[in-house]
Amino acid sequence: MLNKSNTRALCIGLLASLFSISVCADALDEVKEKGELVVGTEMQFAPFDFLEKGKQTGLNADIFKVVGEEMGVEVRFLDLPWASVLPGLSAKNFDLVGGPLIVTKERKKRYRFLTPIAEATVALLKRAGDDSITAPEDIAGKEIGAGQGSAQLRALEDYTKTLNTPVEIKGFVDNNQAYAALAVGRIDAVANSLPNIGYVAKQRPNTFEVVQPPFGEPAYFSYMGRNDEDSRALLDAISSIISEMKADGRLAELQEKWLGQSMDTPTGDFEPAM
Amino acid sequence: MIDFPLLVQNLPQMLTGLLATLGLSAVALLIGFLIAVGVCTLRLAPQPMLRRLGGAYITVFRGIPLLIQLLFIYNFLPRMGLGVSPIVAAVTGLSLCAGAYIAEILRGGFLTLSPGQAESSKMLGLRGWTIMRRIQIPQVVRLTSPALVNEVILLIKASSLVSVVGVAELTRVSQNIAASTFLQLQFYFAAAVLYCIVNVTLALLGSLLEARMGRVRI
Amino acid sequence: MNFDLNILFDNIGAISNGFVVTIGAWIGGVVLGIVLGLLVAILHRFGGKPLKALLRIYIEMIRSTPFLIQLFLLYYGGPTLGITLDAIPAGVLALGIYGSAYFAEIFRTGFNSIPSGQLEAAECLGLSRRQVILRIQLPQMGVLIMPALVNMVTILLKETPVLSIITVPELTLVMTGIGSETFAFAEVLLVLCIGYLILVEATSRVGQALEKHIGRYLDHRTQQIKTPEEMA
Repeated sequence: MLNKSNTRALCIGLLASLFSISVCADALDEVKEKGELVVGTEMQFAPFDFLEKGKQTGLNADIFKVVGEEMGVEVRFLDLPWASVLPGLSAKNFDLVGGPLIVTKERKKRYRFLTPIAEATVALLKRAGDDSITAPEDIAGKEIGAGQGSAQLRALEDYTKTLNTPVEIKGFVDNNQAYAALAVGRIDAVANSLPNIGYVAKQRPNTFEVVQPPFGEPAYFSYMGRNDEDSRALLDAISSIISEMKADGRLAELQEKWLGQSMDTPTGDFEPAM
Repeated sequence: MIDFPLLVQNLPQMLTGLLATLGLSAVALLIGFLIAVGVCTLRLAPQPMLRRLGGAYITVFRGIPLLIQLLFIYNFLPRMGLGVSPIVAAVTGLSLCAGAYIAEILRGGFLTLSPGQAESSKMLGLRGWTIMRRIQIPQVVRLTSPALVNEVILLIKASSLVSVVGVAELTRVSQNIAASTFLQLQFYFAAAVLYCIVNVTLALLGSLLEARMGRVRI
Repeated sequence: MNFDLNILFDNIGAISNGFVVTIGAWIGGVVLGIVLGLLVAILHRFGGKPLKALLRIYIEMIRSTPFLIQLFLLYYGGPTLGITLDAIPAGVLALGIYGSAYFAEIFRTGFNSIPSGQLEAAECLGLSRRQVILRIQLPQMGVLIMPALVNMVTILLKETPVLSIITVPELTLVMTGIGSETFAFAEVLLVLCIGYLILVEATSRVGQALEKHIGRYLDHRTQQIKTPEEMA
């Protein structure tokens, strides 16, 4: 019966449900509303994300172009120093991290990875013609550089424990600074993922050389977002677009363009070795 | 020794970076000045609580290194619900820091104003804020303009640190160019020259102002 | 935010090392800066025109460019000129050079504040240049320029976090490293803020005490050193 107190209760109930519906707008809805996906990344990470004449270029730019088209949104990249990227993600300064980042156990605990896009096994870059390093073990006792706070540096730390003489590890703000230090002889090698140092060695064969085989555990690169309910739909959407790209060969094409070869990457959830 | 073609090729980018540097510094100066007036008012207030508040602001923002302030604003504040973009973080950080230094500069200026002025203005019926705005602040700005010009120079130099929150000002642009060309010496030197040109010009302006000060009696 | 203290205790070794490097680099930079600055100031005062001009350019270039750029020039640009320094030496050297320009200016003002009458009298009495500097100018200068010196020393302390950018393992680098490893970024930053505040405040207090102690010799109205009668 619609008496005064019932009506009041009904109104409050309706208002409450309306309110909860509007509060249910999550990251995906926000992105579609704004028409913009914001990706945090560090542009000193060739060939995934780097600057050519001031313009962003690389595998990430190409992949996200497809993602943007299929979602009907613009993609905006924020160029941040690496140390600010993960904190920035946690702080919701952007929707997801470009990177890409290596999938590690520690990171999986706190964040959510999308389906992987490339191999990331860590290897060493040395100066061309440096015969003192012919295999990974030869770096024992030498000075090796890597990106501060990166999984590649962690892999180096793990590796040095297996050597009889430990390595002196220098953390650089970004990999380009590490390559620069290597080139002038300040360090003896740089530890980074194979696709990255492969690219650098290809661009400057007179300066750099890759040390085979890679010393790291098998690893994969992925984009990464927050582990919360709010981001779930958004990350699902982007992940499925990338999965489609894997299935129909578009990703393989881009891998050949930027990484020199196509690579197999896991399609479902997997347990990272690192 | 100097790779001229590459230098010329990248010059437009560097100049864009310089423009960003100057823009950032200008905005930070403006906002910092407003903050400084506020803090200065607190510092010169009759109530000891307010004075302590003003003093605390200055201690905090002059005591914590700017780099840490920038990282804090960009990484920590969002946890409390104030998400910021790199540029906003940069301007906020620079403004808050500048505000503290400018507040001290202004305070010195305020203290040299004769209190008789404020008293006679009150007798003429002007209210406190109007006295501030139309009589005191213009005089203080004139008095302290050499120190303020110096502060601008400091701000332009300090802006080089906002590269850590990813803003594409002159230092970050030089870093990027140096990274892709491996010609660090050349491009960092070019950046140094650009900073020099701007700051030496400003310093000359400051000296001019200081010279004119000597002839003005307040 | 409640695992603050645990993280600190777990990493206390690394944090102490970082702290030691910060203090070491700071003191190294200050000492180098003062020695170099004094040298520049003395050469400027007593040198010929070309030397004066050269030193002027040195001072202006350093004071007109950001410290970060100077640091990059030395660390990344240096090897091109044959100067390949490790991170810590490069950091200390850059701090010292940066400080020297400011210290030189402070010493210059100090030199100018000594009444020329004293210097003329010293010349008449046959004192050597070295004696004039060491026994007449520096001691009196010390009193007058103490606040400016303390201020500059504090500024150099606040520039040390910048050294982290070229991998010097000082406090900021160590703490942000811990932050990335434990994912406790915000807490780490808070600790850094408090840490530096304490250091700067402490320096400030020590400076004020020094100024007070030395200020006994200064007649504040005239900014002149007290005569023996006035000091009694």
